[in-house]
Amino acid sequence: MATSATGHLPPSPMKRRTFLDRLLGLGLVSTTLAVVYPLWRYLNPPASGEAATTSAVAGRVTDLAPNSGQIFKFGNRPALVLRTPDGEFRAFNAVCTHLDCTVQYKADTSQIWCACHNGIYDLGGNVVSGPPPRPLEPYHVNLRGEPGQEEIVVTRA
Amino acid sequence: MLTERVINWLDERIDLTGIRHFIAEKTVPVHAHKVWYYMGGMTLFLLIVQVVTGILLLLYYRPSAEEAYESVQFIVSQVQFGWLIRNVHSWSANLLILVAFVHMFSTFFMRAYRKPREITWISGVLLLFLMMTFGFSGYLLPWNELAFFATKVGTGIAGAVPFVGDFLVRFLRGGDDVTGATLTRFYGLHVAVLPMVMTGLLMIHLLLVQRQGMSVPLGVERAVRNGQPLKQMPFFPNYVLRDVLAWYVGLALLAALALFYPWELGTKADAFAPVPAGIRPEWYFLAMFQALKLLPAHILGFEGEMLGVLGFSAAAGLLLFVPFLDRRASEGKANRLLTVAGVLAVVYLVVFTIYGYVAA
Amino acid sequence: MPRVEFRKRARVTVLALGIWLVAYGPARAGQAPGSQPAVGCITCHEGLADARLSAPAVDEPGDVHGARGFTCLVCHGGDGTSQDQARAHDRARGFRGKPAAAAVTEVCARCHSDAEFMRRYAPRQRVDQASEYATSVHGQQLARGDTKVATCVSCHGAHGIRMVSDAKSPVFPLNVSATCSRCHADAAHMAGYVLPDGSPLPTDQHELYERSVHYAALTKANDLSAPTCNDCHGNHGAAPPGVGAVVNVCGTCHAVFSSKFALSTHSQIFDRGCVECHSNHEVLQPSDAMLGTDEPALCITCHGEGDNGYEAARTMRSDIDRLKEAIDASVALVGRAANAGMEMSDEELSLREARNHLTLARTEVHTFDLPSVQKVIQEGFDVTASVDQAGQAALDELSFRRTGLAVSLGAILLVVVALALKIREVDRTYGVRS
Repeated sequence: MATSATGHLPPSPMKRRTFLDRLLGLGLVSTTLAVVYPLWRYLNPPASGEAATTSAVAGRVTDLAPNSGQIFKFGNRPALVLRTPDGEFRAFNAVCTHLDCTVQYKADTSQIWCACHNGIYDLGGNVVSGPPPRPLEPYHVNLRGEPGQEEIVVTRA
Repeated sequence: MLTERVINWLDERIDLTGIRHFIAEKTVPVHAHKVWYYMGGMTLFLLIVQVVTGILLLLYYRPSAEEAYESVQFIVSQVQFGWLIRNVHSWSANLLILVAFVHMFSTFFMRAYRKPREITWISGVLLLFLMMTFGFSGYLLPWNELAFFATKVGTGIAGAVPFVGDFLVRFLRGGDDVTGATLTRFYGLHVAVLPMVMTGLLMIHLLLVQRQGMSVPLGVERAVRNGQPLKQMPFFPNYVLRDVLAWYVGLALLAALALFYPWELGTKADAFAPVPAGIRPEWYFLAMFQALKLLPAHILGFEGEMLGVLGFSAAAGLLLFVPFLDRRASEGKANRLLTVAGVLAVVYLVVFTIYGYVAA
Repeated sequence: MPRVEFRKRARVTVLALGIWLVAYGPARAGQAPGSQPAVGCITCHEGLADARLSAPAVDEPGDVHGARGFTCLVCHGGDGTSQDQARAHDRARGFRGKPAAAAVTEVCARCHSDAEFMRRYAPRQRVDQASEYATSVHGQQLARGDTKVATCVSCHGAHGIRMVSDAKSPVFPLNVSATCSRCHADAAHMAGYVLPDGSPLPTDQHELYERSVHYAALTKANDLSAPTCNDCHGNHGAAPPGVGAVVNVCGTCHAVFSSKFALSTHSQIFDRGCVECHSNHEVLQPSDAMLGTDEPALCITCHGEGDNGYEAARTMRSDIDRLKEAIDASVALVGRAANAGMEMSDEELSLREARNHLTLARTEVHTFDLPSVQKVIQEGFDVTASVDQAGQAALDELSFRRTGLAVSLGAILLVVVALALKIREVDRTYGVRS
């Protein structure tokens, strides 16, 4: 093997190959990880469980006193869950049938009210007065879980 | 090394001599047109990407008219890296069909279909049609407005086939109209029937390529006959490394496309909404669609659309059986007519696809 | 026949007739008056050539009177058993013929204003139509001898009268405006009538009404609660709402607007209330263009540059426009993030709230009080601000993803470079061979 002026041997071809091989190996491993990592995360189901289009949890029974109501998200629409003065749970699509404003529960009259143009619905979702042309779409309500602490599960009729 | 130990362990149990010999001896011809050899491998890579991302998607997808759209929305927004999987699947589908067309045309112009590779060609053309069917059935699955109406128009065209047209439409749609039944049917096609057929065809195609080796263009074959030596490159590792390089570039391209040009969700399909203006199929059907649109309603007493559909079917048949039409190729001579026909076909496809986009 | 004999027979006949009439008279509980079959009337009249005389004899399926056994005799009197015209039409037997216009109300009211009687057939039905009618323009004109005006039969029909809820009835909500227009849109018929100020009574009300949102709601959106002529003018007591009463009339449905308007300065100034801006018959879909200081705004009809009202109108309009633009910008931002794969349904829900505030602001405009409108608008801006914040965070997450991609691409580039070098090396070592 030829020696250079300083007397050092040129780097052995064996070493160069191994370096390249190491580099290649590192690259292959890291790219494989970069592919496997998202796949692994994908396979783990997300917190929301499933595409919530037909059912949603509106809270716990302890959140709603009788003669009160609250708005929650149902799919991509607002929905209203209310508790009648007698303690019964009901839920409706909270989009007013007049001009799409969000309705609310009015405790002093125990009715559902739309602030925009004073549309009033009764606790069955039927129009009592004002401009709304159609009743509110009702949803099914079920309770699920430990007695006294149940979740309110609202599903599309 | 670990891999060597594993291979030896297997060799002691199932004789790997044949495979080892094959890998060691397999070569790939080297000449001016060898770049086209990578097209087949690229198609295969994109197909593998489709299968993997497709399987991942079907873990969360729901094939019913009520839930399909929402499940895709769920995948894209809630599932971790769902956006990546879905967008890679959509992009890879389009790239796959594009590369498959390139692969088909390159093998066509190089006359790779000539004896002894007729079956390879036929299985390949059938695979191409299969890919387009995959694309058509998969397009409907997100159940958005564009897909719904594109499917309505597309399946409606099947009605132009004489005698069996109405049956075909009902068979495709699972009823008289495009409904949830169509979705379920297309889903079954897309994830079960078509993959099964594809596996069979692909096995035949790949096995034949391995058995017969790579074809060379007619010019190179003539040079070899005249005594010029043909350079060969070892398949493993030289060609394989190049192929893997191309695949990595493809992977990078897919990831970048998925991030920078995400696929739209669109609006959920509504059967009673009016047809959106400028409805058209995906780009790989656009040339055909545009040509059908240009045909007059009646030609010599026959329905224009029917003649168009029959015409395209005839073209597909010609394409499928081109090895048997081109006798000269097996003799080593170029068929000028077919070259011209091929060039015209490419020009027609490119021009009419662009025209289809611009016209909308 | 001897006179004594005749008188005896006549008395007996009259007595018999009297007993017969009483026996079958309306006082008989549970039986409809004239429930003796009117076979005679029908048999003769259905064969007559004149359609006006034969049509009433046809049995209409929706005829509310016929279904309950009320026959021709109830209103027209006479002898329904006889086919001899002289006998059937005998005034002595109670035949009244076609009631004159002035007498129609009395004929109908005989039953319909009798609470006890109506309770047997339709307990919920009102019995004050006749007295209401007397207060109406139609009733007052009739009392003065004008027979061109509408009476009961003009709107309800004389024969084959259907229930108001029957879709074929001329007074079914969808048909009311056409029924009123039979006279009110006929220029020849309405000639001679004038408004309080002396100008001729217009006949284009129906034409204008057909362009209104109320008409569209009624005919296209199938909303039978949408107002037609009788909802604003009254049914039997039909008269135009008086000055000052318009706000109350519109306010029966549009309660929020009327209560806000009633508190505003404009309620003292506008003679015609809501009609000043929204018209009475041609009530069109309102738009933001009606507000402000640029054509076709209505504010500049009275307000000129420099006065407080002008400034308030301009500010209100520009505030509403700004909120609209903010909402559009937020929608675009959220749309971009959603399209890139981010979960934006909470933000989309909030944008609903922002749009609600836009609706509320347009309602608040009717107070014509700038500070209260601005309060509502500000709440809307608060919502869009928070949505923009969330949208921006989503876009930041997107940048984070891009960084992740860049890192992966870096790794891939590393591999590509290493592969290229490896290929070169391998080509050298193993080389291409012939």
